[in-house]
Amino acid sequence: MAMDMDEMLQKIKDRQWALADIDWDAPGVETISEDFKPKLKAFMADLCWIENVGARGFAAMAKKAPTPTIAEIYRYFHAEEQRHANAELALMKRWGMLEGDEIPEPSVNIRMAIEWLDTYADDMPLSVLGTVIPMLEVALDGALLKFLLEEVHDPVCHQVFEKINNDESRHIAVDFEVLDLIGHARARKLAIDFVSNVASPGLIIGALMYVPLLNRMRNNLVEMGLEPEKLYAAMNRFEKLGRRGEFTHRVPLFQVLRVHSKMVVNSEHPYHLLANSMVKLSEYYPKALFRPIPTWFKELTYEPVTTGVKKGMNAA
Amino acid sequence: MSAKVYTTLVIGAGFTGLGTAIKLREAGIEDLVILERADRVGGTWRDATYPGAACDIPSQLYSFSFAKNPGWSRTYSPSAEIHAHITELAERFDLVKDIRFNTEVTKMRFDKREARWEVSAGRRTFHARTVVVASGPLSDASLPKIRGIDDFEGARILSARWDNDYDFAGKSVAVIGTGASAVQIIPELVKVAGSVKVFQRTPGWVMPRVDLVTPEAVKQVFERLPIAQQAARTALFVAHEAAATGLVWNTPITSVIQQAGKLHIRMTVKDKWLRRQLTPDFRAGCKRMLMSSDYYPALQAENCKLITWPIAKITPRGLQTCDALQHEVDAIVFATGYDVHLDGPPYPITGLDGQVLGEEWSGHPQAYKSASAHGYPNLFFTCGPNSGPGHNSLLVYVQGQIDYAVAGIRTIVEQDLRWLDVKKDVQDAYNASIQRRLRSTTWMSGCSSWYLTADGFNASMYPGFATQYLRQMQDFRIRDYEVASNAAVRLWNIPRDLAAV
Ligand SMILES: Cc1cc2nc3c(=O)[nH]c(=O)nc-3n(C[C@H](O)[C@H](O)[C@H](O)COP(=O)(O)OP(=O)(O)OC[C@H]3O[C@@H](n4cnc5c(N)ncnc54)[C@H](O)[C@@H]3O)c2cc1C
Ligand SMILES: [Fe+2]
Ligand SMILES: [Fe+2]
Repeated sequence: MAMDMDEMLQKIKDRQWALADIDWDAPGVETISEDFKPKLKAFMADLCWIENVGARGFAAMAKKAPTPTIAEIYRYFHAEEQRHANAELALMKRWGMLEGDEIPEPSVNIRMAIEWLDTYADDMPLSVLGTVIPMLEVALDGALLKFLLEEVHDPVCHQVFEKINNDESRHIAVDFEVLDLIGHARARKLAIDFVSNVASPGLIIGALMYVPLLNRMRNNLVEMGLEPEKLYAAMNRFEKLGRRGEFTHRVPLFQVLRVHSKMVVNSEHPYHLLANSMVKLSEYYPKALFRPIPTWFKELTYEPVTTGVKKGMNAA
Repeated sequence: MSAKVYTTLVIGAGFTGLGTAIKLREAGIEDLVILERADRVGGTWRDATYPGAACDIPSQLYSFSFAKNPGWSRTYSPSAEIHAHITELAERFDLVKDIRFNTEVTKMRFDKREARWEVSAGRRTFHARTVVVASGPLSDASLPKIRGIDDFEGARILSARWDNDYDFAGKSVAVIGTGASAVQIIPELVKVAGSVKVFQRTPGWVMPRVDLVTPEAVKQVFERLPIAQQAARTALFVAHEAAATGLVWNTPITSVIQQAGKLHIRMTVKDKWLRRQLTPDFRAGCKRMLMSSDYYPALQAENCKLITWPIAKITPRGLQTCDALQHEVDAIVFATGYDVHLDGPPYPITGLDGQVLGEEWSGHPQAYKSASAHGYPNLFFTCGPNSGPGHNSLLVYVQGQIDYAVAGIRTIVEQDLRWLDVKKDVQDAYNASIQRRLRSTTWMSGCSSWYLTADGFNASMYPGFATQYLRQMQDFRIRDYEVASNAAVRLWNIPRDLAAV
């Protein structure tokens, strides 16, 4: 099934799009009801930040890429996740969810993810990043986008998400190809990478961050009236796509995430007691302990066109 | 065309071409002509007029040992001063009378019957028994192939062909590229432009550059006591040679140099993410080292911003990056470097049996000691294949090439040879050894650079110390060459093209 990465890179370069390609003032805003807005706003804010978290993940991957072409692809994916975040912010702006220059507050769980990424991501081996990122992509990105397209009937939103989905299909194709590539590595190397990282504070804290992040999204979705099955279907996709790879099953972390997603998918599973208490606990996490938001996090903007240099929050 | 046959024809009137002429004269070869496409001498330093242009090897090393300049104003002299020095050399050695300006070589071929080179410059033709190629390693530049580049409606400025009439005051400017020219241009632009957005693909290793004004007293000492200047030069030479242990070979010293580079970032860049964006992920030396103390501060100025998103395309009003934003600018500065001719000079060179150099060199250029190529007799390259330094002044190497060419030309003249053509097996053995030695160098440590061909072949750098290189260049051995002699032709009256022995 080996994919031609040079061809993929060329395709990626050929399929670039910009905020300016979209008419943000086109009719359709009225399709969003006033009482749906606050929920949608919280949802969009998380989605937008998750894209940004994914972006940072790809930045870390670029340094670990097995070939220069894949490194270059990750460099593009890094920018494309940022593009998704910018586009989602622009939708929020369109829906009147942002006052003036407001940028939505990241939730506690997102902030934890940011801190984790900033502290540990660059030191994680490819076998860890290359397994976690696909999970994030299929589960969060995949499920959330699907939900949005079902619940929101604004044509501009559909136009935007068609573009985002096209990008995502390339992300996922590359993600799972690389995951398979990782599985190719000698079993010994995989085991060493895994064992040395399972014990590492990086991965433990990572898990502590990932579990409530996921459940929080799940709870948000349920609250908005989505059957959690949608999320579960997306998570099952992780296993399905992974199974297609010849060597993916050899990646230990893939097996862990697979088993974990089975627990998440089973709403009766006691796992949810734990995960939900972690969500609650995280709400009590003292904000003062967070380090200042890293500057890469402040690059988000809904402005399609920039002139001159602005420094600081949503600089362009 | 007149039947005048010069002993030597030199292509290019930059540092190298002029240096060659000086040394040829010194060796008693007066019958020479220099062809120069521009209307003035100077090469690189005539053309590099962008703001901040200066050498990044200390000036004391960046001049010929046989034609020093006691008066360098600073540690790293600005472009105009280097150009003035070259102009002064041309006058001091009375070279101008031998230069044909506005004469661009378009092709050349070896005439086997007459045993001479036929060099065409447009409609004119010149003949010479020997030719020295000194048309420069980095003398051509063109706009990069970026999607949409022709749609841009603002000013497009190429660093190598600076438009000194364009007024940057208050303008929004984009700079594409963060290499050797960019780190010199950006600090200057930030001073005058309204805003500067710097688009970076790969960050390079930047070392601080301590650029001091030369005190008047020192200039006077150098002027009156040349040996003092020679001592300063030797000290610098030795210091640069020492750097080869980390910059040429991939060793623990390379890591030490990287630590110094990282320290430079840590000390001068406040923001953690910016530090990450600026930290290279290739071995120091693998690409050209950058020297600047004002680049990092400039990037952090209020009106400057580093952008690392890939460029999706150029639009009529500016640039579009892959994060979906469009950046409107008045001018785009392309600090994208030079057209590096790894396949040999851009003009066709036809050899002894009709073969064309560009075709033979396509992909894997090969020469003997960087100076001679089998099948192209009586032709001497400067800055040829595998002659580049990664750690020292190019002119130190060029001086070795000049000595080599002069030794070869003297041999041809004194022994009255029809031609000298390097032996194929000698050339092959030399290149096999060069490629073997290249394996342990930083250049082959996995980065992509303009030193390498598309398939990763290194035909540009010399894997060794300057001292080693100079030693091989001072040793011209006629036994390395197939020799065709005029004496044989006269004595036996044999057909000329059979005269090779
Ligand atoms: C911006 C810049 C900074 C540099 N800084 C350093 C440094 O600090 N240290 C260092 O060691 N090296 C440096 N270099 C490398 C530099 O190119 C050489 O050091 C040196 O100037 C080369 O001299 P040259 O005479 O061989 O070539 P050039 O100076 O390029 O001269 C070649 C001449 O040949 C002419 N020519 C070209 N083609 C033709 C043709 N077809 N027909 C007729 N004439 C032709 C050109 O017009 C030019 O005048 C730098 C290069 C650049 C571009
Ligand atoms: Fe995305
Ligand atoms: Fe994605």
